[in-house]
Amino acid sequence: MSSVLLALYLIVFPGFLFLLGFAWFAEWWDRKLTARFQNRVGPPLVQPFADFVKLLAKEDIVTEGVSARLQGALPLVAFAAVATAFLYVPVVGGSPFGAPGDLILVLYLLTLPTVLLFVLGWTSRNVFARIGAVRAASQLFVYEVPFFLGCLGPALAAGTWSLGDVVAAQSGGLWTVLLQPLGFGVAIVALQAKLERTPFDIPEAETELVAGPLTEITGRKLAMWNLGRDIALVTGAGLLAALFLGGPTIPGVSVDGLAGAALGFAVFLGKVLFLLAILAAIRAGVGRIRIDQLVTWGWGVLTPLAIAQIALALVLKGVGWP
Amino acid sequence: MTEERKDGPERPGVLLPEMARHLFGRPATQRYPKERIPVPKGFRGRIEISDEHCIGCSKCALVCPTDCIEMVADEREVAMGKRTVHRKRKPIVHLMSCIRCGLCEEACPTDPKAIYLTEEFSGAYAEKDVVVE
Amino acid sequence: MPEVEFPIGPQHPALKEPVSFRVLVDGERIVRLDLDISYNHRGVEKGAEGREFTKALYLIERICGICSHAHAMNFAKGIEALMGVEAPPRAQYIRTLVGELERLHSHLLWLGVLAHEIGYNTMFMYTWRDRETVMDLLEEISGNRVNYGMNRLGGVRRDISDALRARATEGLRGLAARALFYNQVIREEQTLLVRTRGVGRLPKDRAIALGAVGPTARGSGVDFDVRRDDPYAAYGEIPLRVMTSEAADVFGRVEVRVREIEESVQIAIHLLETLPPGEIAAKAPRTAPSGEYVSRYEAPRGELVHYIRTNGTDKADRVSVRTPTLANWLSVVEAIQGRVIADIPVVVAAIDPCLSCTSRTTFVEAGTGDRSAMEWDDLVAYGIRYYRDREGSP
Repeated sequence: MSSVLLALYLIVFPGFLFLLGFAWFAEWWDRKLTARFQNRVGPPLVQPFADFVKLLAKEDIVTEGVSARLQGALPLVAFAAVATAFLYVPVVGGSPFGAPGDLILVLYLLTLPTVLLFVLGWTSRNVFARIGAVRAASQLFVYEVPFFLGCLGPALAAGTWSLGDVVAAQSGGLWTVLLQPLGFGVAIVALQAKLERTPFDIPEAETELVAGPLTEITGRKLAMWNLGRDIALVTGAGLLAALFLGGPTIPGVSVDGLAGAALGFAVFLGKVLFLLAILAAIRAGVGRIRIDQLVTWGWGVLTPLAIAQIALALVLKGVGWP
Repeated sequence: MTEERKDGPERPGVLLPEMARHLFGRPATQRYPKERIPVPKGFRGRIEISDEHCIGCSKCALVCPTDCIEMVADEREVAMGKRTVHRKRKPIVHLMSCIRCGLCEEACPTDPKAIYLTEEFSGAYAEKDVVVE
Repeated sequence: MPEVEFPIGPQHPALKEPVSFRVLVDGERIVRLDLDISYNHRGVEKGAEGREFTKALYLIERICGICSHAHAMNFAKGIEALMGVEAPPRAQYIRTLVGELERLHSHLLWLGVLAHEIGYNTMFMYTWRDRETVMDLLEEISGNRVNYGMNRLGGVRRDISDALRARATEGLRGLAARALFYNQVIREEQTLLVRTRGVGRLPKDRAIALGAVGPTARGSGVDFDVRRDDPYAAYGEIPLRVMTSEAADVFGRVEVRVREIEESVQIAIHLLETLPPGEIAAKAPRTAPSGEYVSRYEAPRGELVHYIRTNGTDKADRVSVRTPTLANWLSVVEAIQGRVIADIPVVVAAIDPCLSCTSRTTFVEAGTGDRSAMEWDDLVAYGIRYYRDREGSP
């Protein structure tokens, strides 16, 4: 790709500016669906953007004895990590930044915000933040393994660690979800835990811990953190769409040029919104569980299912499928 | 009724069917202030005083639980039934203490009532000491 | 992590009203819980001493918003007993009806709050939407959604028309179906069950020893309900079933309240259908003869006790209010032993705390901020000194 097009991809579409808009749109979609599930009206389309602007205008308070630079930097680093991860997600076709092994890179970048959340909570001189940070770290150990295993399955089936190649393999044949429905279920539940949404919003259980690790974060820092969280939502959904639902492709359909890109984007959008609807239904449909119950259930149910799926995928690969 | 009934299996997401029903239905929210549902008759809202009917008997001030009704000097000829009464005082109400119990309305002897509760429920004021007269 | 002190309150998203828990935790496990319930004290008992009965009634009604009719009716029937006045049957039925509707809206509110405390916001929204049926009904009957002002000494202030009776019965039948649905949900929804089953154990003997009342005690199998065991108003004449549970944990309390929702709907429909004709108030004198009376009422949260002493004037000499939540707090301190932080909102919400009803004074040392309470013997000695100074030696 020429460097002008590359720069446009990076900055405008589907890079930075598009990502901002898409993240806010995804937050709206999630909140609107949750509200409709609950028989309410829900926020208007501009609400996430309005919340962001409002937070930017708020006073930035830093507790005595806490490093203001560290607290200010952590949300920015988290935002940078997830925004970079999105660059590798196939949106209109393979990403121009795609490289062998970029699936591992995306998974790593998506893990970073949770670690940073732990640091953020631990270094705030606040007991709620500390307990929330410890819970976030405990939760990390529980869902990371099933999530990685769930994402491993499609990579095994396509025989590659490159996201673009996984998508391309599906466009020639079947969507991975049809061969690995178990892995898809595990990956969705583990994604919900990674994003710390109900029933896994244990680190930030507002009726127990006020706001968990984010208790002392105000103003611009909170705005950046929320934005990072929305981008993580979009990136996670985009990742699962690419791995299991074929990303921006439809099997057997191949259109070139601008029309092809537009079609690919429309397909990608539809799949991501569908995945977000599933995540919203999970969020609205159940209550929060305790951290000890999550640990028991995560290691007792989720990880064994993921391992079973990997075993199945290896068997299928052995007999020549797909 | 409350005899032991057969329960379904324990599962997460029991409310999912109802959630799906509401997804495409009408929200239960009343979109105030665009949509106003009228209050029922007899709603105890903001208090009002009708100056032309008050005969200054002070029953309302005596009966008020929060003592928010103050009688001030105000002379006027008021028609009550077939008679005309020369009243010497009239009530004013300190709105921020009024609990809208309606005891003053019950105690008022005139017909129509000189002090009564309306159906007005919304009201935000810029001063603390709002007086109704 | 070493032991950490973890404050819940007085400002905290888990609490609807200010109360202070100082929790000492080791990791997630609770080591000790200290309770301070003085934040909502408003001096209502003292305020009732200086006001005529008709005015004190309105002050007592506003001790609490959710159990306002409980306080007002308990006080009114206590004064009526001292005066020797009996409210007519239609008034008794209307009072009972408003009391049961209040129990309904209080339990539905509580069910939503419990769901919210465990992050189950969908159920919170649904129960509060269904609660609006009851609120609209109360608004039609009394003119306001809370603090109904229905009681007067000798009866009630407003009557219920036949058209309203028909509308109310219809609305309540719809609510009966929803109550059955919620009973099913609490038994089947797994995330709710794992948070409430086995949590906050309170065996029956401990419930009795700690003085727990209402659904908190009935959830541990204590079969006591003032409506059946010391009937007042219309309760002697209407069918009533007292709900208990053998679960003796948070789930037991949840179960009792949800079944009480079903039962209250049935009682309210029965009252509406069998409302006797007649007067809605008897004439009450202005003053009450000297005497003392203990008036009891089954509020939504349990047994409410008013002690009233009169001295022949038109003002009460002493009004002492023992609310059910005050009796239930010790059971929280006991039930939370050995649990984790995540169980605190659930166990606290399970007694349905109403801090406005509960608050007692505490003594704070102005310079150091040390808090203390008086021991029983100190209080007796203080009381003797106080009255001796005021009234002279006997």
